[in-house]
Amino acid sequence: MHSLLHRHRGWLWPTLFLAPGVILFWVVIVASSAESLRISFFQWDGLGDMSWVGVDNYIALFHDPQFYTSLKNNIIWLVLFMAAPPLGLAIALLVNQQLRGLRLVKTLFFMPLVMSQVAVGVVFTWFYDPANGLLALVFRAMNATAPALLSDPQWVTVAVVIAGLWPQVSFCMILFMAGLNNLDDSQIEAARVDGARGFRMLYHVVLPQLRQVNFIAIAITVIGALRSFDMVSVMTGGGPFGSSSVLAYQMYEESIQSYRFGYGAAIAAVLFVIMALFIAWYLYRMLRIERGTA
Amino acid sequence: MYPRQIGAGEPVKKALYLTAVTVVLLLWLLPLLAVLMTSIRPGSDIMMGNYWGWPSSFELVENYLGVFTQTPMGHYFFNSLVITIPSVLGVLCLSTLTGYVLSRYRFRGNILLFAVFVGGNFLPFQIMMIPVRNLTLALGIYNTYLALIVFHVAFQTGFATLFMRNFIAALPDELFEAARAEGASPLQTLIHVVVPLVRPALAALAILLFTFIWNDYFWAVVLSPSDSVKPVTAGLANLMGQYAASWDLVSAATIVISLPPVALFFFMQRHFVRGLTMGAVKG
Amino acid sequence: MAEVCHSITRRRLVQALGSGLLLSGLGVPALAASKELTIISDLDTPQYLVFRELAETFGQQSGISVTVNNLAHEANKTAIGNYLVADPPDICFWFSGQRMRQFVKLGLFSDISTLVERENYASVLGPLLDAVTVDGRQYGLPLGGLFWGLYYRADIFAQHGLTPPETFDDFYRTCNSAKAAGLIPVSMGTREQWPAAGWFDHLDLRINGLDRHMALMRGEMAYTDTALDAVFEQWAQMIHDDLFLHNGTSYGWQQAASFLGQGKAAMMDLGNFITTALSPEAVEQLRLIRFPMYDSAIGPFEDFATNSVHIPKRAQHPELAREFLAYFYQPEVLSRFVGALSGVPPRSDMSVGDDPLARTATQLLRNTQGTSQYFDRDTPPQMAEAGLKGFQQFTVYPDREAAIRQQLERVRQRAYAS
Repeated sequence: MHSLLHRHRGWLWPTLFLAPGVILFWVVIVASSAESLRISFFQWDGLGDMSWVGVDNYIALFHDPQFYTSLKNNIIWLVLFMAAPPLGLAIALLVNQQLRGLRLVKTLFFMPLVMSQVAVGVVFTWFYDPANGLLALVFRAMNATAPALLSDPQWVTVAVVIAGLWPQVSFCMILFMAGLNNLDDSQIEAARVDGARGFRMLYHVVLPQLRQVNFIAIAITVIGALRSFDMVSVMTGGGPFGSSSVLAYQMYEESIQSYRFGYGAAIAAVLFVIMALFIAWYLYRMLRIERGTA
Repeated sequence: MYPRQIGAGEPVKKALYLTAVTVVLLLWLLPLLAVLMTSIRPGSDIMMGNYWGWPSSFELVENYLGVFTQTPMGHYFFNSLVITIPSVLGVLCLSTLTGYVLSRYRFRGNILLFAVFVGGNFLPFQIMMIPVRNLTLALGIYNTYLALIVFHVAFQTGFATLFMRNFIAALPDELFEAARAEGASPLQTLIHVVVPLVRPALAALAILLFTFIWNDYFWAVVLSPSDSVKPVTAGLANLMGQYAASWDLVSAATIVISLPPVALFFFMQRHFVRGLTMGAVKG
Repeated sequence: MAEVCHSITRRRLVQALGSGLLLSGLGVPALAASKELTIISDLDTPQYLVFRELAETFGQQSGISVTVNNLAHEANKTAIGNYLVADPPDICFWFSGQRMRQFVKLGLFSDISTLVERENYASVLGPLLDAVTVDGRQYGLPLGGLFWGLYYRADIFAQHGLTPPETFDDFYRTCNSAKAAGLIPVSMGTREQWPAAGWFDHLDLRINGLDRHMALMRGEMAYTDTALDAVFEQWAQMIHDDLFLHNGTSYGWQQAASFLGQGKAAMMDLGNFITTALSPEAVEQLRLIRFPMYDSAIGPFEDFATNSVHIPKRAQHPELAREFLAYFYQPEVLSRFVGALSGVPPRSDMSVGDDPLARTATQLLRNTQGTSQYFDRDTPPQMAEAGLKGFQQFTVYPDREAAIRQQLERVRQRAYAS
C-alpha cells in the first residue's frame, strides 16, 4: 500500500504536486461550504452580529410554502432536463458524417453552450414576450392568442427549463459526438454483416459502447438542473410571485434581498443534502466502474 | 462509423441530408438568429414595436460601435480576459499535478481526496457565497481581479482534476514503468511522460474552462461590484438594467460577449473532440 | 481530514496563500492611496452622464482624481450590502427613509450632521431633511425626489376624447372610455414586482390616509386589519373590471411603459423615470396627474421617494467626500443633476427648470398634505420582499386575498420582531 510513500523521495514529490490544488480547494470550496452549514444555525442579517437560533431556520423552512414551490420546481427541472441526453444524442447522430462543411455546422450546433446563460436568458425572455415575442407572432399567425408563459404559474418553470435545455442539449451533443468518434468499428461492421440496422443497431450495439458517455451526460445534466440559477434570475427573478423559484434562487433571494443569511444558509443545506445523495450515487458508480476495469 | 456514412456516389441522398441538417440547424439557432437580426436593427424599430419584422434600416456598424462607445463594454471585455486567461492556466497546472498524483500513486486517502474534489465540484456553488465573500475580504482581494481568479481556479480544479485523473489513468502503465526503470524522478516523469501525452486533454479542458469562466455570472455579481473589475456577463446584466428598452444595443452586446468562446470552439474544435474522446469519455 | 478545517490552521493557510498571491501583483487594488475619491452610483444613463461630468469638473477644480463606478439600479441593491462592509467607496447612492435607517443602525453610514449644519442645509430642505435624519443626526443628503402619479399622453387622450380623472368615479369613467376606444386603460408591468406595490400604496393612502398607512409601514397595524378591506376590495374591483394590462407579470416596467409610448395604453402609475423608457416624441406628449381622489376629506397624500447620497462609515477619504458633497449640493450644480431625470428639486432655492413634468411634480407635491416613500422603502427588507410578492400575486389572483393577507401578516410578525 505504501509502496511509493515509504521512501523519503517517494512521498515528497507527490505531496508537493498535490498541495497547491488540495489546499486551494479545501480552503475555498470545502471550508466555505462547511461555513455555510454553520451559518444555517444562526439568525444573521449579513451585516451585524450573528445570534444562535439552533434549528429554528429549518423549522421555519419546513413551514414555508415557498420552499415547497422551489423544491417542486427543482424536481421539474430535474425531470425535464433528462430530455437533454437523448436530444443531444439525436443531434450528434444527425451530424456525425464526414462531409465538407459539416465542421462549421457542428460548431454552430455548439453555439448555445458557449453563450453565457445570461445571454440565453435574455434571448428567450424576448422569445416568450406575450406582446412582441416570436412565439406571440406565431400564435397570431394562427389566429390564436399566445400564452404568456412567463406569467403563468403553471407553465413558467417549464418555459424557463426549455430555455435551459437549449445549452444543455448542446453540451450532451458534444459528449456524444466525442463518444461516437470513439466507437469500435469492427463491432459495428460485424453487426452490419449480421443485418443489424437503424434502431436495433443503435440499441444493441452502439448504446452499450456509449455507456460511459451516457453516465457523464446524465451526471452533468443532473448537476445543471440542481444548480439552475442564472436562467431563473435573468428570465423571471423567480416570479410570478415565486412560482418559478428554485432552491438556489430562493437562497440567494432570502440572503441578499431579505437579508436573512441564516435562513438562506438553511436552504443551501437542504440543497446540499439533495446533491450529496446524487454525489454519493455518482462516486459509487464511478468507483465501481473503476474496480471493474482495473 | 455509426450512423452509416453517406458515400461519394449518392448525390441525391447527400443533398437530402444536407437540406435536413440545414433545416434542423436553422430551427436550432432561431433564437440566436433573432438576436443577430435585432442587433442590426435601429433603436426606433424597437420603440415602434417592430421586434421581429424586417429591420427598417441596417445599423450594423452603429449598433456594434455603440456597444463600445456608449457603454463600458470594451472595458468589461478586457476585464473578462484578465480574469479568464490566468484562471484557465492556473487550473490546467493544478489539475495536471493533482490528476497525475491521484491517478498514479496509491496512498491512504487517495480515494477520499478524489471524492472530495468531485463532490465539491458538484455542489451548487451558490451555497458558498457568503463565506467566499468573507474570505476574499480577509485576504484583501475583494473587488479585484484576483478574487475572481482565486475562486475560479479553486472551484474548477475539482472538475479538472476529475478530467485529468481519468485521462492520465487511461495512459498505458508501461510508459510509467519504463520511466521508473530508467530512474526518472516523479518531476521528470511528469515533464517528459505526462505533459506531452496529456496535451489533447489539456486543449479540450482549456476550451471548456474558458467557456465556464468567461460565462460565469453569479460570482461576477458577488465579488466584483465595481466597473473596474466587472466581467462581461455582469456587464451585460448591467446594460440590461440601464438600456432595458434598447434591445438593439443589448443584442449587439450579447453577440459581442459570445464571440471569444465561439471563436475558440470553432478554431479548436478538432482538438476539443479528440481531447474529450481520449479523456472524459473513454476514461 | 477535518483537522484541515481547524480554524487556526485555516487562517494561517489563508494568510500564507494571500500574501503569496498578493506578491504576484494581481491583488493590488486599482487605486493606491492618495488624493482620490471613489464613488459608486446607481443612476440611469442620462443622469449618470451628467453626474460623471460634474465629478470630472470637481476633480479638475480640486486636483483630485475622481472615479465613478455606475451600477445598474437593481445590481446596486444587491451589491451595496457587500461593498459597504467589504470595500466601501467614499460616496455611494442609496434610498432615504427606512432603507437608509437600516444601514445607519448597523453603523455603515457616516454621520454628516456637521456638514449639514455648516452649509445650513436645514433651511433649504425643510421636511425633506427628516428622510435622512436618525435621532436628530443626518446620514445623507436627499437628491431629486421621485413623485409617483398617473402618466398619460396628451395626444392619445385628445385623439380618443378622454379626460384626465380627478376622482375614483372619473377614473372608472376614463378607463371605460379607454376600453371602448380599444386601449388598455392602465399599463402595469410587475415583472420586477414593485410596481404593484405602488398601486397598493396609492389606494391605501387615498382610502385610509397617511397616518394609518405609515402605521402599517412601521409594522404597527396588521395586514388582516379590517381597515384594509376597502383597499383590497377597490383593487379587486378594478381587476374584475379588466382595467389593467393583461399578463402584467410578464413585463418589466419599461416594457409596460412602452405600451404607453406606442399609444396602446391610456395611463400608467409610475415615477418620473418613466421618461427613460419612452421616445422623445412620446415624452413630449407625456402628462402627469395625481392619483385620483377617493374621499375629498382624505389627503391628498402621495408616494414621494427620495434617493440620497451617503458617505460610508469606512470610506477611505471621508474629508474629501464631504468636500465633494458640499460642491455637489450647490443649487446650480444639483439642478443639472436633478434636471437630467425630470426630478423634483430637493432644495427650495433651486429652480425647477423648464421641464414640464418636473414642474407638474413640484406643483403637485406642494399641494400634498404629506408623503410616504414607497412600500419597499418604508418597510424592512423582509416585509418589502413579501409585500411585493403578495401584491403581485393579488394582481393575478384577487380571490386569494385572504391567503395573501395572512401570509403578509405572518411575515410582519417576524420582520419587525428583530
